[in-house]
Amino acid sequence: MTAPAGISPEIEAVLENGLNKTALTCLHCPSRILNPSVGTFVQQEFALPAMTKQKNQIIDEKHELREFWKVKDMFQFENVGFSNTVDGVKYLTCADCEMGPIGWHDLVTKENFIAVSRVRNS
Amino acid sequence: MAKKTYDLLFKLLLIGDSGVGKTSILFRFSDDAFTSTFISTIGIDFKIKTVELRGKKIKLQIWDTAGQERFHTITTSYYRGAMGIMLVYDVTDERSFENIVKWLRNIDEHANEDVEKMILGNKCDIDGKRAVSKDRGDAIAREYGVPFLETSAKANTNIDKAFNDLATAILDKFAGKEPGDAPDRVMVDPRRGDTSRRSCC
Repeated sequence: MTAPAGISPEIEAVLENGLNKTALTCLHCPSRILNPSVGTFVQQEFALPAMTKQKNQIIDEKHELREFWKVKDMFQFENVGFSNTVDGVKYLTCADCEMGPIGWHDLVTKENFIAVSRVRNS
Repeated sequence: MAKKTYDLLFKLLLIGDSGVGKTSILFRFSDDAFTSTFISTIGIDFKIKTVELRGKKIKLQIWDTAGQERFHTITTSYYRGAMGIMLVYDVTDERSFENIVKWLRNIDEHANEDVEKMILGNKCDIDGKRAVSKDRGDAIAREYGVPFLETSAKANTNIDKAFNDLATAILDKFAGKEPGDAPDRVMVDPRRGDTSRRSCC
């Protein structure tokens, strides 16, 4: 559906100079994750485990996502949780309701990536 | 260049017996309907929260004991860089209260001597099962000269106040040491979270 290299109108609407135009908040509670103009929009593939699963579902489903807000320094976040390390990755969660993963933390580069589709622009 | 987005960074620890609700103190808007199965399985390592005190924007990096709840497994490396410690017991669990003294001793042995402490009697919403009166909490806090609050993570009672009070105590100490121009940041050791990577050689 989305053009591989293009930026959709939905993304265009939340961008300003390549950064997040508005604050990012949790989809499920009012917790503010990131202030405006802190995250850089990047396109790269990453399979993020699903936030929810069916009761009888055993295996965690992963979603291939390609639109993220990159946050260079973890202390640029307003409120965020870091999971324990799994397979070399720390997953990011809402600091208040703990919904997630909303993104991931690269232990080597220390960079953080918030999935555009897993947070609210407000 | 990323612009500076905060004035100070405080590293805080939550310690206490297992089951006293340390995790739910971090988990304020806890609601079963929204619990993420994936995240609850792997567990939270630490959180970053932002508070504003006296016009300063302060980042709190808050660590849970991550299952190392026994006194002998919590040693110097865990306390390294900690500027504040929340010492948590469960008001419905007598033993967790008695162990507060052991935890205080453990902190004395292993933590930085000027670390700010606070005692929290959690689960104060469960009145029917209360085993430790508020007076006893007050008494032990007075004896050791540590501030005390009863909290309920579930009812969201005093949780924000606890973090704000502890951060304020650290800020006051910090301001006392550095009158006038405070440095931009207090650097804490951020390495605890990725020891697996650093221990490769």
